[in-house]
Amino acid sequence: MNGLTIRHGLEYGALRVLLCLIDSLPPAASGWLIRRAADLWYGLDGSRRRVAIENIQRSGVAAGPRTAKTLARESFRHFGMVVLESLTSARVFNCENWREKVQIDLPPETEALLNDPNRGMIVVSGHLGNWEIAAQLVSHWKPVVGVTRPMNNPYVERLVQRRKPQNNFRLTPKHDANALRFLGDLKRGDILALLIDQHAGRHGVQIDFFGSPASTHTTPAMLHLVTKAPLVFGVCIRTGPMSYRFKASEPIVHPPTGDRESDVRAIMDRINDLLERAIREHPGQYLWGHRRWRE
Amino acid sequence: MTYEEILEKLRGLMKAASQEAIDWDTIADTAAIETLGFDSLTILDLIYDIQQAFDLEFDAEELIDVRTVGELATFLQERLA
Repeated sequence: MNGLTIRHGLEYGALRVLLCLIDSLPPAASGWLIRRAADLWYGLDGSRRRVAIENIQRSGVAAGPRTAKTLARESFRHFGMVVLESLTSARVFNCENWREKVQIDLPPETEALLNDPNRGMIVVSGHLGNWEIAAQLVSHWKPVVGVTRPMNNPYVERLVQRRKPQNNFRLTPKHDANALRFLGDLKRGDILALLIDQHAGRHGVQIDFFGSPASTHTTPAMLHLVTKAPLVFGVCIRTGPMSYRFKASEPIVHPPTGDRESDVRAIMDRINDLLERAIREHPGQYLWGHRRWRE
Repeated sequence: MTYEEILEKLRGLMKAASQEAIDWDTIADTAAIETLGFDSLTILDLIYDIQQAFDLEFDAEELIDVRTVGELATFLQERLA
């Protein structure tokens, strides 16, 4: 057994213990436990904590260093609740009750698209609010295909996938041999769901995020440009225990001009702007610990 | 536009979008597109470039069943006719 496998095993074991506790405790107690675990993580993971505080200060959402630290701790706790509520949502939400538990704030054009089973859509979001719950909720309108990068730990990945509601929501890797599979999903009338705020490395284009250039994935823009499928930005903000407000933009329309790079920039600028505004409204619900800006 | 002219133009577009160092002059029309160095990102770049270079409006989803360079050239020839 090599070092990597031992680490994977330990992480898997810790998650199993955590899930046993979550399943046996009342929701309020498991929420308390997760928040304390997040505090412990905040205290012990100095590197991630520093990244979060630096990102908050760089974005300008905090008035000063003290507020930045408070927001960073809040962000860690929120991430804990994202994990907890995503893994337990199947007990709470079902096809009959989900509209009672979620406030829905949609422009009429976007709602019409969601209600049309024959129209494929591209829905983009960021690591804000609860993106997992967002995908699960939207899948009550029509099938959702979440475009993701698998977790580094394959044991944890399998365990988490088994816990997620499987009905109308499936995941697909960002990269695989079938490069045209996204087009098939859109043709079937499914929703392609993508998160746009991860560092894209050399594959991305530099787009301003809170005023600083960040390597940004171009896939949502390119999919819109070549398929003309409607592109919508949406977020699912946590308003209380297992309570959310799902809000989406009007469809973004950008016909191709012949200048690919300029078209991509225009679309991703618009989406980044929508994400920034949403983060400014709910800075404690953003995952600040990700190294979004890398020189 | 003849089939050969379309093929020639396609080779140029593929060369620009592909990540593989390939001798594009030797690529036959039977070559499978998936072997030519495109991933889920660069294939979208290629479709965009084709739509613009040939000034064609088509649903990208129509390309799902296209497997080879020749099939792509035939698809475009039919749209251009």
